[in-house]
Amino acid sequence: MIVVPLVAAALVVLARRVLPLARVLAVAGAVATLVLAIFLPGTRPLDLTWLPGIGVSFSLDGNGAGSVLTFAAALMMIPAVLVATTRVASGAAGFAALLLVALGGLNGIFLAKDLVLFYVFWEATLIPGLLLLGIWGGERRREATVKYLVYAVTGSFFMLISILAVKALSGAASFHVIDLMLAAPELPVATQTWLFVGLAIGMAVKLPIWPLHSWLVDLNEQNHPSGAADVLGSLYKVGAFGFFAWGLPLLPAGALRVAPILLALSAVTALYGAFGAIGSNHLKRFLAYGSLSHMGIIGVGVFGMHLAGMSGAMYFLAAQMVSTGGLFLIVGMLYHRRRSLYLADYGGLAKAAPALAALTLFLIFTFIGVPGLSNFPGEFMSLLGAFQTSPWPAAIATLTVIAAGVYGVNLYQRLFQGRSEAVVKDLDALEMYVLLPVIVGVLLFGLMPAPHLQRIESQSQLAELQLERAAAAPGGITLSDVGGAR
Amino acid sequence: MTFPGQIDIHWSVLAPAIALLVTAAVTLFIALFGRDSRGAAGAALIGVITAGVFTLAQLLSGEANAASFGLRYLGDVPALTLTLVILLGTVAAVLVSWDQLQRGGMEHPEYYPLMLLSALGAVVMASAGDLITLILGLEIMSLPVYALSAWRTRDRQSEEAGMKYFLLGAFGSAILIYGAALVYGAAGSFVYGDVAAALSSGNLTLLATLGGALVLAGLGFKAALAPFHQWAPDVYTGAPTPVVTFMTVVIKIGAFAALLRLATVVFPALQPWLLTALAVMVALTLVVGNFSALMQRGVKRMLAYSSVAHAGYLGLALLATDHGGVAAAAFYLTAYAFMNAGAFAVLSLISDANDHGDDLERFAGLAKRRPWLAAVMTLFMLSLGGIPPLVGFAGKVLVFQAVIDAGYVWLAVLGIATSIVALVYYFRVVAYMYFRESAYEPPAFRSGATQVAIALALAGTLLLGVFPGWWHTLLSAGPRLLAGL
Repeated sequence: MIVVPLVAAALVVLARRVLPLARVLAVAGAVATLVLAIFLPGTRPLDLTWLPGIGVSFSLDGNGAGSVLTFAAALMMIPAVLVATTRVASGAAGFAALLLVALGGLNGIFLAKDLVLFYVFWEATLIPGLLLLGIWGGERRREATVKYLVYAVTGSFFMLISILAVKALSGAASFHVIDLMLAAPELPVATQTWLFVGLAIGMAVKLPIWPLHSWLVDLNEQNHPSGAADVLGSLYKVGAFGFFAWGLPLLPAGALRVAPILLALSAVTALYGAFGAIGSNHLKRFLAYGSLSHMGIIGVGVFGMHLAGMSGAMYFLAAQMVSTGGLFLIVGMLYHRRRSLYLADYGGLAKAAPALAALTLFLIFTFIGVPGLSNFPGEFMSLLGAFQTSPWPAAIATLTVIAAGVYGVNLYQRLFQGRSEAVVKDLDALEMYVLLPVIVGVLLFGLMPAPHLQRIESQSQLAELQLERAAAAPGGITLSDVGGAR
Repeated sequence: MTFPGQIDIHWSVLAPAIALLVTAAVTLFIALFGRDSRGAAGAALIGVITAGVFTLAQLLSGEANAASFGLRYLGDVPALTLTLVILLGTVAAVLVSWDQLQRGGMEHPEYYPLMLLSALGAVVMASAGDLITLILGLEIMSLPVYALSAWRTRDRQSEEAGMKYFLLGAFGSAILIYGAALVYGAAGSFVYGDVAAALSSGNLTLLATLGGALVLAGLGFKAALAPFHQWAPDVYTGAPTPVVTFMTVVIKIGAFAALLRLATVVFPALQPWLLTALAVMVALTLVVGNFSALMQRGVKRMLAYSSVAHAGYLGLALLATDHGGVAAAAFYLTAYAFMNAGAFAVLSLISDANDHGDDLERFAGLAKRRPWLAAVMTLFMLSLGGIPPLVGFAGKVLVFQAVIDAGYVWLAVLGIATSIVALVYYFRVVAYMYFRESAYEPPAFRSGATQVAIALALAGTLLLGVFPGWWHTLLSAGPRLLAGL
């Protein structure tokens, strides 16, 4: 899973002088990763020694929520590298290679079962994104890069301290998830709280939640207009997964203390993102805010700490990779036609480009969570779960569903309806191929949630169990207390 | 002090040092009668590799715990592994010098012999089991480097570097020797183990503590720990780049090897405030090194300050010698040798023959002009900044883990906070290479030998980064330290 995209990336770099070959190699690498991702569940976990001196192992496990996320990530990487190798003017092979490297890193994040290994991938994946932004970005790319770097690194370095301290303080035998899950919850509540805060700083930046979100909007705005780099952006929102897979189960007592604050922030993020989307006139800023709103709902689902909510949030995370990534690619196609990212320059495209209009509408519907399409089950479950424990933040977050309807329809109207004499090409064959995996993903996640949800559920139950145990401990706070206090 | 009735000499323990000494002598003759400096460089390489083979043979033979002259010259795991890293650093420095000497008009025959002698001094320091051997090693290491830093004759900056280094270096050595004398006065022995034993058994006097403090200060000077770091940026900026490649790696290892042993054996037997003083020095080094590096426009000067900052991270490990700190420090030194030598090797290809033109603007657009060089430099910068999966990250994790285990959480937090600063200045180089266009076309210098050095450093940075386990296991093997424990 990790090696295949990296090897593909190396081959792409070697074939950079022959672009068609590089394109084939890049797509083949992404497809191969996808095939591996499909057959991943049920395989035996990998467990190699890596740095035995301090108890770090190279442990990966293809079962659980991570496998769903790797599937979505690999699926979206296919159109992304295709676009990268056709629509990027200079250094396209390097662009695609960086995307593939990032895919390898993402797979590592999702599958790692060793906390230090998780961190290794978490941090390493930052670099391809930075280079994509810095080399191929827009006019203000340097500012955006520095902002991104400082936010991400500050967050993750605090995370590193917590990671190293978890083992040292709890006396766990190694950094493997099983050892840590046994030892870490035994720590006193105050210690857990501090460690959790350290982890939370790093993960909240990459969730992202307000007020640590501002790098995201700049990143998307300044990224290459083809949208291929933004696909990576939508895949690299790994914060919620970090909380789900590591933060909550390892430090449940700390989580119970801090989560209400994060829950409230998530609700604010959801609403803030929705209003940001309504108010923006720039296509990519629009999508960035819209996706920020989704992230808020995911946060609400995770920090509601209810079984259904956590599962739903992870499912939503995978689903939004497809829908948000797809819309960024559509924006890239629009830019290819009109050389502008401002909404004001568009309008009335539906007549000249009916297929483009129809598919965009389809993806906008997905984006705003229409039932039957990919975002709905996850969004619904996130909110439903949160309602069980903490109705007020959930209610606030639910408002965004209404707001989403407003901004979604508004977007479609301003792009495609109205009067326009402009001659615009409809979708060409390449773009059809680009959108095909996106559509498949949307329908798959929308209509057949069960198999994926099952795999997520098994891991949510573990997190739930850890939280219940912490809550039941003498002096602990109970889940219903957390909800009741709100 | 009691001499053993018969002086025990383990020739295998001494073999690496003797190989270096012989090579230095042979190289001098080759250089005197050779047409250019290449022959001497080749001889130096052969000698260093021979010494490396001796070291490796000893390390792998399983008898890695021999010592010579009582416990005064040790062949334990830290000594042997650090010797290997010193030799690696020397190889890198020789390769970087290969073409640069001619290019910079610095081909004097004494160059390679001096470099080998200095490496010999560092090896002796790494193997020293008593204060006298330590002082001998320190002087053998330092004296040639004073000359080497002023190697660029008729260059004000280089001469200033040599002079400054000599004056302050002599001062540092004097403090160290005075400290050693006081320790001897208090403990009646120079051998680390005997000193610790004597002091623990109730002979802890003001004399001993004062002596320990002076030894710490003297070595702190060589290791460039704040507040004794002032010389480092100026010397590193003024000295020729190949010499700096040598100094930042080899001298640093020598100084830290000695500090490691003292911090393990001798310092704990002294007043606890001495360790607190060391902690404060480390904290100060982290802050001063990183923030000063952030202010620099010249890449060479930035790297100079960054090497001060790395002394701070190494210092963290000194405080945790009971919690895996020795292996962590040795690993970090290995990592640092690879990535730092690599960075300076790249720099030597980019700056002018007289070492000027190392400012950030020179790196603008490098990704377009020389894509491979830019990619490699990016890896070195990210590794120095501690980004996984490169070797610098593994080093940082080991050091931080050790220092957290030892209970210095505040220092770990400080180290992390300053690492954020560090990443900003390292990434700035990457940003210049990739995100900017160059305003002019600087002269491009190419050198096969330097490329070999870069390839070596790159291999270490990548391989040890992805597979850190085996080397760390090797470093952690065996009894912790011989030194009479």
